[in-house]
Amino acid sequence: MEVEPLPQQAQEKIEPAKTADLVIGIVPELDHEALVALRDGLRTLSGSPRVAILIDDRTPQPDPASPEAFEKSGDPFLVPWPKLTPDTPGTPTASMANAYQSVFAACEQFGAQACGVITSKLETASSDWIRQLVRPLLEDGVDLVAPRYARHKFEGLLNSSIIAPLTRCLYGKRIHNPMGPDLGISRRLFQKLTPTDRNPGSAVNRGNPLASIAPGALCNSLQVCEVYVAARIYPATDWTNFSSILAQVLSPLFLDMERYATCWQRTRNSVPVPAIGDPVSVSQETGTVDISRLVESFQLANRDLQEIWGLVLPPSTLVALRKISRLPVEQFRMPDDLWVRIVFDFALGHHLRIINRDHLLKSMTPLYLAWVASYAQGLASAGAATLDQTLERLSVAYETGKPYLVSRWRWPDRFNP
Amino acid sequence: MWGQIKQALAQSTAQFLTRLASLLPGVVALVLALVVSIILGCILAAIVRRFLGAVQFDQRLARWGVPSLAEWSPANSPTLLVSRAIAAFVIFAGLLIGIAAFDAEWTSLFVRSVFAYIPNVLGAALVLFVGSVIARFLGRSVLIGAVNLNLQYARFLSVGVKWLVVVLAVAMALEHLRIAPGIVELAFGILFGGIVFALALAVGLGSKDLVTKSLERDAQKASAENIEEPFRHV
Repeated sequence: MEVEPLPQQAQEKIEPAKTADLVIGIVPELDHEALVALRDGLRTLSGSPRVAILIDDRTPQPDPASPEAFEKSGDPFLVPWPKLTPDTPGTPTASMANAYQSVFAACEQFGAQACGVITSKLETASSDWIRQLVRPLLEDGVDLVAPRYARHKFEGLLNSSIIAPLTRCLYGKRIHNPMGPDLGISRRLFQKLTPTDRNPGSAVNRGNPLASIAPGALCNSLQVCEVYVAARIYPATDWTNFSSILAQVLSPLFLDMERYATCWQRTRNSVPVPAIGDPVSVSQETGTVDISRLVESFQLANRDLQEIWGLVLPPSTLVALRKISRLPVEQFRMPDDLWVRIVFDFALGHHLRIINRDHLLKSMTPLYLAWVASYAQGLASAGAATLDQTLERLSVAYETGKPYLVSRWRWPDRFNP
Repeated sequence: MWGQIKQALAQSTAQFLTRLASLLPGVVALVLALVVSIILGCILAAIVRRFLGAVQFDQRLARWGVPSLAEWSPANSPTLLVSRAIAAFVIFAGLLIGIAAFDAEWTSLFVRSVFAYIPNVLGAALVLFVGSVIARFLGRSVLIGAVNLNLQYARFLSVGVKWLVVVLAVAMALEHLRIAPGIVELAFGILFGGIVFALALAVGLGSKDLVTKSLERDAQKASAENIEEPFRHV
């Protein structure tokens, strides 16, 4: 993760403030009340740290404190920041990456001990959760604070199906949202991830730094904790561009598997990380869920994409997929161990460059939709307890299947029926 | 009379032997060039085979999307095909050098024209290879994109795109080889236009119902998504 040089405009904005202990970059637009509440909340942090809050310079600035006020009173100081929000809608991962790069650059410039990146809006109106997210960085010496959003069963599915259980199985820590996207990061972790003369190989995903933060912290044995926060508001699915988004999210995740291969191959089992705060409950009510379109998409792909899947998946998996593609929609199920094998085989295919990586990841879309269909079928009328059990079962399936991944990663040419 | 016949026979025998004797150095040179080129070809082929085996050329080629080369290869091994092609090329070059050693005007002209044609052959082979790789890549891109858009005729589209590129590559290769360029241009125009026309007809007329259904389904999908889409992924 290379820190991009600051634009001249940004340099001018930083000059009067000079230093800060904590930098918080806020991507979504906050109204005046929320900002005032946030500033009041941040004043209660122990040790009275100097806090710089970056807000996008294109959004209206409600009440910017002057640099002089910042110097004198130590009040949180608002810094209008260029390019904090995306220029290009429809590329969420790229815009997240830009926001992170901007905040890291500001963090470096301020010489801050820690930084927080806020890219989401939560269902609760209170902005106190931002204070809760950054507090452990300053008060408890934690290096990575990850959010533990209140979970609705049909939201954050990519995280539930691949990112969280894969991170847990690979690196041995049960982080529920390893890719945030709202994270608190210490300077120590930030420096570990930034290439220097002494550790030039540590450069992480420039395309999506989010993916490398949790693996970087875990493989460097840094302190990680979670903070319970309210449910996140997710953007609606852009179906026309979905396979590209899937590829953008999974590619850095799989690239990090290559980078940290020696670390995750040593890791056995998983342990929970400390969680701060109280769980927030959320209603699991949904209307009627129609999975027929997801199943149809999978059936079409099973007919037409055999040529590509055959290069990545072993014959036993292809046979199993053919079997489930013949199931009627009401009985449609994808077993956890089958899904885990598919994810592992695609990660291996990505590592071995069996075919063009973009083709490989995009061809995984119908398989992911099949998992979503199966998951939705299983949880149609389920409550929070069943949801937790289901996801725990999936995570355990990932951990159980890890020897297969390690074996094929080390000896990819071995016979694999 | 008998003396004259004997003299004529002796003269023609002497002429034959003289010509044969004058050819002998050329024949020896040809045999020598052939032997040397066969040995050189075998050594080069062995080196290339080892090298390609070490870099897992066959597997890489399959990953790059050129499995069709394996189908044309002896024992389904492109490594074997390449090494044998190199050996054959060296032996053929040796043969041409040997023929040139006869020092006859026509042989040197023939050899010169054959050597002058070799860049065209290599260029055509390169065009075919690149065309095959691009066709495979585009075919896959279209197939995956169309399947992800839930198009029922994804495979048909993919095959159509692939063949368009293959036909284009073959026409370019033939043009490069200067084989009946007028006919190739005409045939290519007809074939390429035919494929595009067939695709247009198939989509526009033959698959009218299919397209209508697909568009209807897309419209329904869009409206359904607006009404209720409980899944949030990223």
